Amino acid sequence: MTDGTIREMKDSFASTTVYRSEDVPLQCIPPPNELEDTLHGLMKLNGLIIRSLEEIAGRGANAVTYRAGRKYGHEVAKYFRKIEDVEEALKELSYILHGQYTIEIWKPADKDRYIIEENGSTFIYLVFHDCIVRQTLRRNGQPQGGPLCLTLFGYVVGAIEEITGKKAKLEIVHTGPNACLKKLILQ
Amino acid sequence: MIEIRVDENSCNGCGLCVKDCPMQVYELRDSVSVPVRAASCMGCLSCHEICPAQALEHRGVYPSRRHYIDIRVCEMLNRVI
Repeated sequence: MTDGTIREMKDSFASTTVYRSEDVPLQCIPPPNELEDTLHGLMKLNGLIIRSLEEIAGRGANAVTYRAGRKYGHEVAKYFRKIEDVEEALKELSYILHGQYTIEIWKPADKDRYIIEENGSTFIYLVFHDCIVRQTLRRNGQPQGGPLCLTLFGYVVGAIEEITGKKAKLEIVHTGPNACLKKLILQ
Repeated sequence: MIEIRVDENSCNGCGLCVKDCPMQVYELRDSVSVPVRAASCMGCLSCHEICPAQALEHRGVYPSRRHYIDIRVCEMLNRVI
């Protein structure tokens, strides 16, 4: 590396800003519209972690990420009021997740109720519209429905279990570029 | 309410949308895909992605955020196109 290159690098980081310990940043720096590179960097990093985890742990990666998400879901939701009604709990959950994920309680046209009972199991269909996980996977060209999706699964299940006090399970029905359909199975 | 239109002239009747849709929205009739249960569509747009003839059009679908689109790549593409 030449002296010129080193000097150029050093110059790019030179600053006359004075920082005091009492200074509290009151705004996001740089402004959000300049954060695209950071966002893409984060997406790439997340994709890399998940890809490596899959390579090392194989199918065990799913168990790890699901458990991590579930634990986090329990932790986040423990500060929220407890509701027995699952539909109400889902509303509460979409409030918790707002800005990161948007969830719609959904039913096929031929069903009358959102809580569906079929073959001895009770479930609710959820459509995930905005989803950071989907963005990350598509950014990195990775398939949907893998370990990173399971983190979100765990998160939703953990939060629902914490809010309702009931055991729950989530199943991927379909993944798409604009929305994903999931089944929340109530136990 | 989602409205689906299939361009009958473009559709090649491959049936990929029929196989891929989890809600059985499409059916093949006379080698053309027909949206028979549009009310059951949840707007995942998998059929859009999979359709080789780009014969589908959805109206009333909630467009989810697409943070993954790289602005620099788009700028480059725009310059080329």
